[in-house]
Amino acid sequence: MSVIIKTTINGKKVTASAEPSTSLLEFLRDTLEMKGTKLCCNTGECGACTVIFNGMPINSCVTVAADADGAEITTIEGLADGDNLHAVQQAFIDTGAVQCGYCTPGYIISVKALLDRTTKPTAEDIEEAVSGNICRCTGYAKIIDAIHLAANRIAGRA
Amino acid sequence: MAKAEFTVVGTSPARMGGVERVVGKGVYGIDVMLKDQLHGGILRSQYAHAKIVSIDTSEAKALPGVHAVVTAADAPDVRYGRSYLDRYILARNKVRYMGDPVAAVAAETPALVKQALKKIKVLYAPLPVVIDPETTMKPEAPTLHEDMPLPKNLPEGIKVKNVCGFTSVHVGDPEKAMAEADVVVEEAYETKMIHPQYLEPRMTAAQIEPNGRVTVWANAQAPFPVRQEVAKTLGIPLNNVRVISAELGGGFGGKGSGITSGAAIEPICALLAMKAKRPVMIVLDKAEETISTTIRAGAKLYIKTGVKKDGTIVARTGKVVYDAGAYSGFGTQAGARCTNMLGGWYLMPNCHIDGYVVYTNKQVCGPVRGPGGPQAAFAVESHMDSIAAKLGMDPAEFRVKNLPKAGDKIVGVPKLRDVSLGETIRIAKEKIGWGKVKLEKNQGIGMATGSWIESAGPGGGAVVKINEDGSATVHIGKIDMGTIPGFGIPLIVAEELGIPVSDVTVLNVDTDASPWDAGTVGSRGILVSGTACRLAAIDARTQIFKMAASQLEASPDDLEIKDKQIRVRGTPAKSVSLSTIATAAHNIIGEVIGRGYCDNVALMAEEKAHGSSQPFTTHACIVEVDPDTGNVKILKYVAVHDIGFPIHRAAVEGQIEGAAAMSIGQALCEQVVFDNDGRTMNPSFVDYLMPTINMTPRIETTLVPGYPGAGPYGAKGAGEIACVPPLACIANAIFNATGVRVRKLPLSPENVLRALREAGK
Repeated sequence: MSVIIKTTINGKKVTASAEPSTSLLEFLRDTLEMKGTKLCCNTGECGACTVIFNGMPINSCVTVAADADGAEITTIEGLADGDNLHAVQQAFIDTGAVQCGYCTPGYIISVKALLDRTTKPTAEDIEEAVSGNICRCTGYAKIIDAIHLAANRIAGRA
Repeated sequence: MAKAEFTVVGTSPARMGGVERVVGKGVYGIDVMLKDQLHGGILRSQYAHAKIVSIDTSEAKALPGVHAVVTAADAPDVRYGRSYLDRYILARNKVRYMGDPVAAVAAETPALVKQALKKIKVLYAPLPVVIDPETTMKPEAPTLHEDMPLPKNLPEGIKVKNVCGFTSVHVGDPEKAMAEADVVVEEAYETKMIHPQYLEPRMTAAQIEPNGRVTVWANAQAPFPVRQEVAKTLGIPLNNVRVISAELGGGFGGKGSGITSGAAIEPICALLAMKAKRPVMIVLDKAEETISTTIRAGAKLYIKTGVKKDGTIVARTGKVVYDAGAYSGFGTQAGARCTNMLGGWYLMPNCHIDGYVVYTNKQVCGPVRGPGGPQAAFAVESHMDSIAAKLGMDPAEFRVKNLPKAGDKIVGVPKLRDVSLGETIRIAKEKIGWGKVKLEKNQGIGMATGSWIESAGPGGGAVVKINEDGSATVHIGKIDMGTIPGFGIPLIVAEELGIPVSDVTVLNVDTDASPWDAGTVGSRGILVSGTACRLAAIDARTQIFKMAASQLEASPDDLEIKDKQIRVRGTPAKSVSLSTIATAAHNIIGEVIGRGYCDNVALMAEEKAHGSSQPFTTHACIVEVDPDTGNVKILKYVAVHDIGFPIHRAAVEGQIEGAAAMSIGQALCEQVVFDNDGRTMNPSFVDYLMPTINMTPRIETTLVPGYPGAGPYGAKGAGEIACVPPLACIANAIFNATGVRVRKLPLSPENVLRALREAGK
């Protein structure tokens, strides 16, 4: 038995079927072959699979794909405008915050969701927004630099 | 070398492949998709130690949609290993840890794989389990490997068992010197097993080509050793195996040197593909990974040091018991390194340390980031502060008192070329405010130093091809996991060829096309591939100059190359474009192909003659200890490093900050916890605590100039050394804050509070 899921991903309407037990992450990666969203812990602990779901950042690995029916989803593939990178994407490159890059898609999504709410994030705002995103390469210093740079650019301060 | 000499090395441009990664188009191992691929899965032992009585796969094989079920009976009777050939790709006769692979399945869907694995019936006869590395050495302990001999270099008369490595360090006459010391301090330290926890799960895919060759995709740090070991364990000719590397989502040594010290899933997957006659892909589940792949070993470290009243160290004795786990893996090598490093990196005229590497019923030790180093340094550098306290000396002053200088030897290094250790201590003191900063109640300040040897090992090559437009395509045997192929290598090639960094493409490893290399391991990326690429680019440039010289009617020695133009030095009007020459090459030499090689033999000879230019570091921190909960908060953290010339400055800083953060995790919270049956109690990320952004201090990195290394432009490896000091650095700050010495990791609230209570605080 499979369910039909009608959803909007990065502004495009998508209709596909999936098993009821399929996670949103599996739906994106395996059914739709959108590999930008990353698989890691599969328990909602590391943030590598973060997508924006009706405006909120969520862990797609612990979300049932069927819940996406009627929802609006933004994945890492939907951030850039053609060749023009989103400010958060550009800031991650410019500050050297991309080492192996595996946590990067989830990180960028979480930061975008944060900066959609405020372009003047406090240290507490940043901790709250990305404490669920684990990075094993950077020690976080350059990621924090990237968040501030992106915020300043979005707000026209840099 | 003055920085002004260079155009691009020493700067920090955007990493190669950065755009792909931020838009979600980077193709990592787990993003590989093969046409008609089956899903593979591995049945792992449910016992930490047991005889395999029988395996019945008939029900699993009968399931519709299952295409292959394999056990040891389907593979050649060939063992693999690094020091000891002590392991099969699928367990044969015996299992030795809970996670040992016993059988594997290939089926149409992941759900079917799970179902089939459950249908495999394995009858085990459980054996006594040994978890503790000291208990395993005792005569009454169970024997883990019946047919593995004890190390040949074990002294006669020593009654031990389950030992798979022995190292003995002897310098001078430690017994006599210890007897003459004014003060003797003796301590015991313990570190726990941690998992590298790279974010991208281990994967492999295998496909049998129409001509019978086996293609393996692996997110492994060492594709060439993987090729060698797949061929050997499956009895396939080497030239019939091709290993292709995708981008790696982290590795940290956990995806280390071949199957010997990795997950060993590549030959299993190839075996499934051969049986199923379809491509197969295996992706490990994170919890499965934590219990089955290679780890940073725990160690017990005994250390005793004699000093004179003025703080001069006169002798050290000690013992290391290093936990290799169920198989020797990388344990023998890491344990030897740990044993040498327990001798420290200060002047040590008399020393005797014995190191035992032992088998236990746990997962296997791999070459995880600075193998053996953090464990040794936790003991050495905590011990330095204990001695300083006993002498009533400032810990920094005590260290400086015992500094080696150029030409001196330290334990494990016969001759040092120059020594930046004192300089890193001086700068760290300044940056942290040593002796100046006002500490509040429950706050403490600490420091720890470290060193690291760019491990000896085989060289490695590079090929630089110049395309018709003057751009360069680079082949090396090292993979990009946030390391030099994406950062330093394009800069080196651009520098030598006078082309923009964006005109350099460094290809992923394909053993059919890339030059041989031992892998991205041992802080050797910049030394091996950096040197090879620089020489390959110079070789290409020499070919270009030779052809350009005849066009420009000049001597090749008078030419220079800048902005993709070849000019006669001093006569800028006489020039020809690089693309013209690269295209003309088609009719002259075919193509400009530069070749380079890192000559390890020459490097070793150079080191022997002039001494080792190894990196040194000092970290310092300020912590606050909550006396009611034992919680430790790091308020400030500085990392001062001599890594020679930084070729890509941001990449070097990133390596240092990442390595320090990883060890801060080991210091404060990380450990793989076992029950008495050998079961991992915290396999998933829910229970295995790692540093998040909240608990990681901003690591303030300072690079110390002026101490060139053996790498290109005077670079030294930077990937591992920052793992060395943090454990003791934090423990020393806790000691400074509370007067209590915590000698067992992690410095978790539980352990710190217990230590405080035991000290009556």
